[in-house]
Parts: sequence; C-alpha cells; structure tokens
Amino acid sequence: MPSPRRTAVRWLFTKEWRELVASRAYWVLLVVIGPLAGMSFISAVTAYGELSSANGTGEGVGQAFSPLTGVWAPTFSACELAAAFLLPFVAIRLVSGDHQSGALKIEMQHPLSSWSRLLVKGAVLMIGWLIATAAPATGVLLWASYGGHIDVPELLSVMAGHILNGGLTIALAVTAAALTEHPATAAIVTLTVTVGTWLINFAAAVNGGWWERAAQFTPTAMVAEFQRGLLRADITLAALTVIVAGLALAAVWLRIGVSPLARMRASVLVAAIAALAVAGASRVRGSWDVSESRSNSFSLADEAAMRTIRGGLRVRAHFAPEDPRRSDLEYRGLRKLRRAVPDADIEYLSATSTGLFEQANDQYGEVWYELDGRKVVSRITTAEGVRDAVFDVANLQIPPGSQPADEIFRGYPLSTRPRGAAAVFFGVWPLVIAGIGFAAQWRNS
Amino acid sequence: MAFVIRIADLTKHYGSIRALDRVSFEVRRGEILGLIGPNGSGKTTLFECIGGVLPFDAGSVAADQPLFYLPDAIAPWPAQPVRWALDFTAGYFGAPSGLRDIVVNALSLEPLLDQRIGRLSKGQRKRALLAVGLLTSRQVVLADEPFDGLDLRQTREVGAALRSFARDGRTLVLSIHQIGDAARVCDRFVLLSGGTIRGEGTLDELTALASARIGPPGTGSLGSGTLGTLEEAFLALT
Repeated sequence: MPSPRRTAVRWLFTKEWRELVASRAYWVLLVVIGPLAGMSFISAVTAYGELSSANGTGEGVGQAFSPLTGVWAPTFSACELAAAFLLPFVAIRLVSGDHQSGALKIEMQHPLSSWSRLLVKGAVLMIGWLIATAAPATGVLLWASYGGHIDVPELLSVMAGHILNGGLTIALAVTAAALTEHPATAAIVTLTVTVGTWLINFAAAVNGGWWERAAQFTPTAMVAEFQRGLLRADITLAALTVIVAGLALAAVWLRIGVSPLARMRASVLVAAIAALAVAGASRVRGSWDVSESRSNSFSLADEAAMRTIRGGLRVRAHFAPEDPRRSDLEYRGLRKLRRAVPDADIEYLSATSTGLFEQANDQYGEVWYELDGRKVVSRITTAEGVRDAVFDVANLQIPPGSQPADEIFRGYPLSTRPRGAAAVFFGVWPLVIAGIGFAAQWRNS
Repeated sequence: MAFVIRIADLTKHYGSIRALDRVSFEVRRGEILGLIGPNGSGKTTLFECIGGVLPFDAGSVAADQPLFYLPDAIAPWPAQPVRWALDFTAGYFGAPSGLRDIVVNALSLEPLLDQRIGRLSKGQRKRALLAVGLLTSRQVVLADEPFDGLDLRQTREVGAALRSFARDGRTLVLSIHQIGDAARVCDRFVLLSGGTIRGEGTLDELTALASARIGPPGTGSLGSGTLGTLEEAFLALT
C-alpha cells in the first residue's frame, strides 16, 4: 500500500504530464525543433563532407574532422535556440496555467509542500525537454547511416550541456511565472534575463576582467564548454545550484496564505544561500576532457610532467580582450594549462578593449611566465608555444615522445552528403509530431 | 455544541482598505452555515483567510480538522475532462473508494464526465467544482457562491445534494449572496456587511435580533415566510 504522500505525488506527476501534453506550446516546440535541427545538421554535414573531400588525414587537420565540433555541436545548437525562445513559454504555461485557472488554490490545499510540487513540475518539464532533444538526436542515426564515426562520450557531453541548459531555462521560467501574475510578464522577465546573459558575454568580450569571469557561468558559455567535450565541475555545480535555487524561489512564491513580507524574507534567504553556493562552486577545480581529440588537454606525457610543477606558476598575458591572438592563446594553450596546473595564476593585462593603440607598448603581445623567480617571455600563442614556455620556466625537459604518433588525432573525414536529412527533418519529423500531437489532444478530449 | 471552526477577531486590510474588521463566529459540526452578504461585503476575503489561501493581519482561525476551501470563478485544469478531474481530486486528496460515484450521482454529473472543464457552461462548471470540493474527503468544506450560475431547478437539486452530504456528517460553509438560496439550504446564517459581522444565528434568532431593532414580525416591518423573514432580517441588520 503506497503512502498517501507517494500516491499524491504520483497523481500530481500524471496531472502535470497531462497538462504538458495538452499544451499547444509544447507541441509547437516539438514540431519546430525538428526543422531547426535539420537546418543545422544539413549545413554541418555538407561542410564536413566538402572539407573531407579536400583534405587528407595528416597531423594538424584532424580537429577539422572531429564529429564533435563538425557535426554534433552545430546540430544540437538547435536546442540552444529552442531553450532560449520556445522552452520558456512551455514552462511558463505549466505554472501560470495553474495560477490563472485557479487549480493552484485547489492543489495547494494538499499538505504536500510547494517544493515537492515544483520538483514534480520540473521533472515533467525536463522529460518534455529530453523528448525535444530527440530531434537533433535523429541526426546521430542519419550520421551513422552515412558511415560516420560516433564517439559516445563526446555525444553525451554535448547532450549533457543542452540538458543542463534546458534545466536552467526551466528554472528561470518557472521562477518568473511564480513571481508574476501574468504569463506575458513572466515571458518578458525570462527573455530579459536571457538577453542579460548575452550582454554579459558581450561585455566580457569587450572588457575582460570580472565580466570575463562572470561570463564563464552564462548558459551560452556553459553549453560551449560541453560542446568542446569539456566537463567542468565548477560550471556544472553552479548550474545545478541555480536550478535548485530557481525552483526553491518559485516554491516560495507559489505558497498560499503567506504574506508578501514572509515571501521576501524567504527569497532573500534562498538568494543568499544560492550566491554562497555558486561562489563555492566556482572555486571547484575538477574537469574532464572527454573529447576524443583531447582538444582541451596537453598530451598525457606533457600533463604528467606539468603536474610535477610546485610553487606558484604565474602567467601574465598582455593582450586586449578583442585581440584575436588572445582568443588563440586562451583556447589553444592557457585553458589546457589551467587543467594541467590548476593552481596556476593566469591573468590578461591590457589598458584598452581592442589593443589597437597599445601595439606601440613594448610589452603588448607578450606572455610572461614566472616561477620561483625565473621569468620567461614568449609571443607564441599556440599550444606548443605555451607548453615550451612552461617547461622552460619550470626547468623541465620536454618528455621524449611528448606527442607519440598514436596520440595524434587524425580525425574522421567523411566525404558524404546529408542524404535523406531534408525529408526526415522537414517532412517526417513535423508530420509525425503533429500527428501524435493531434492524437494526444483528441484522446484528452 | 461542538465547533469545528472558531474564528476570532479576524482582520484583513488591502492597503488602507479594511476588508474584514474583527470578524468572529463559529461553525458547528454537521451544520450548513450560510455566510450572507452583498457583493463587496468581504465574503470571499473571509473564506480565503479561513481556507489558508490569504494571509490575514490579525485574529485567529482555529479548526479542529483540515478543511477545504472551494473558490468561486475558477476553471481548474480546463483542458482535462471532468471524469479525469474528479479522479485526480479523489486520488490526490485520498478520497475513499466509492465517494466519486456518490458525488457524481448526487450532482447529476454523469452526462458531463467526458467534457473538458474549459468547455462547460457556468452552471455545469459550478456543479463539477462542487464535486471537486466534496471529493477532497475533507469533512469541512467552504464553498464560495455554490449556487452562482445555476438555474432554479439546478439550485434546488444541488441544495438537496448538499443537505444530504451534511446529513452524512459533512460540515458545509456556503458563501451566498442570493438570500433565497441561503434560506432554502442553510441551518444557520452569518450576516456580513462592510467587513463586519452584523448577525449570527438561526432564522429565528436573526428574526428576534432584527425585531429587537425595528419591531416584532407582523407589525409590518418584517416580511412573512422563511425567505421574506430572512430578507427583512438581513435588511434590518445590515
């Protein structure tokens, strides 16, 4: 005999699921995400195929033929669009619907806590989001049918990023719906926050500094890390914290019979705890490079040597935020160094955002490496340049076989066309989803 | 007499407006209590405070068991059929098996079971909502305007159904602005006007109270018959 609480949760779950299925917004999301994923998949496979025809498999070109960056990242980017512009409305509808119809006043009279109710709602929305990711996942089947290579950890990494992003969107939209009286207001609030995170990314690109640190934790940056096959503990924990905090805030505001002052107090408490938790999460250093090409890491031998570095390695790179060399240095070298030497103190220095008028400065464009009083300066922005400078300043010998031939990632070129993709994404997917949607609505009536 | 709810000095403000002013009364076990008052008298606010939906500024509400408040003018789960909404309510609130059929029969809901709640007429929806309230299995149910939207025949049928549930041990508190409806169904009455209680008691008690204020029945001040008497008592006391 199940407990009354478990029975209530089961009924609530069924109710939320039925409400989701009854929501036209959800079916629109499902229909639209197919063609969105299709557009991305077709252009990605076309470009991948054309490049594969033109190049060989020599050292250095492998990255271009990684399905992770060549196919999965662009195909699943449809999820990013859907998460920003479609998913919020589905989540808002599920919360505001209860508000507006009066269902909330009935359901909240059950002793089940509003937190439990929000968890059930969040779980149903996450299941709905997982179903939506089936559209880009269809591309995996097509890719396999072309004879394309699939690396499961890479694929799961990309999907994990979008699932986490969906969770963030759901938490944000649910919170906005709980805080506001009308769904239109909730939609505006949600989109405002989304646009706000884009502004942070923009400010980071222009100003660097604290903006850059904050921008690491925006949904766009988080998804980008997962798309590179890098699982970062700090970003993941911060995202999970924000999701839990969002649902907790929504639970505070959906409680009935509570004065606005009491809600405000509880909200401040939740926000303070969440801020502390995010600050703590941002200091967690662990990360895992699941990319087959190890594109986020130095070679195993180099990393093993770097792990012997003791003392404070200090790196000062004189590049302005908008200088393209800074981006090269960051993505090819310094992000790998951060993983290999987690306590390295790395900072960019510049007086302007573009660096255009700093070129005359002698130090501009230089990267200074310091360790135990030794200093090495370099202008090289490649991975090898960073590695050599670090080894130099740490007085380490480059290990023999630093990059053995069997560790060189040569990629998986595939000269193919996206056969059948247009029919699947623009025809079969929308028709099947629309058919299921109509059948579900009819069955409900 | 056992009280199931005791309300003492309940006060509620909306900004500078005092919606409820030290409202005090008691609800007795197994009775149908009618909360009567004109539009804007504070009936819904009072119900929402008692039902725990709305916080109040001062006073207390003591209930010896969980109660259920059924709001007016709501259409919960509009995309779902009545049958499912009733099953959900019964399952969610843990109603005893068999209660659903009893409620459906009592409120003549059988023909509506497969219709979506959002497509029901006002009266049909009101009956479906009453079923939701009764299916929560709470022994005390507060229903806001349970007869609003019902025609005369439906009002009488629903009134009879409510009386039968009260006979089976339910305590019902009904907020009603149509005095005629209240007179037909309720055992006792609480008169509310301008956020204050103007009278409480059975028809006889209210009549006596009104008579003391404006003169005895038959002197032309109070009407004849239950309805007339209650209307006159209401007018005299509010």
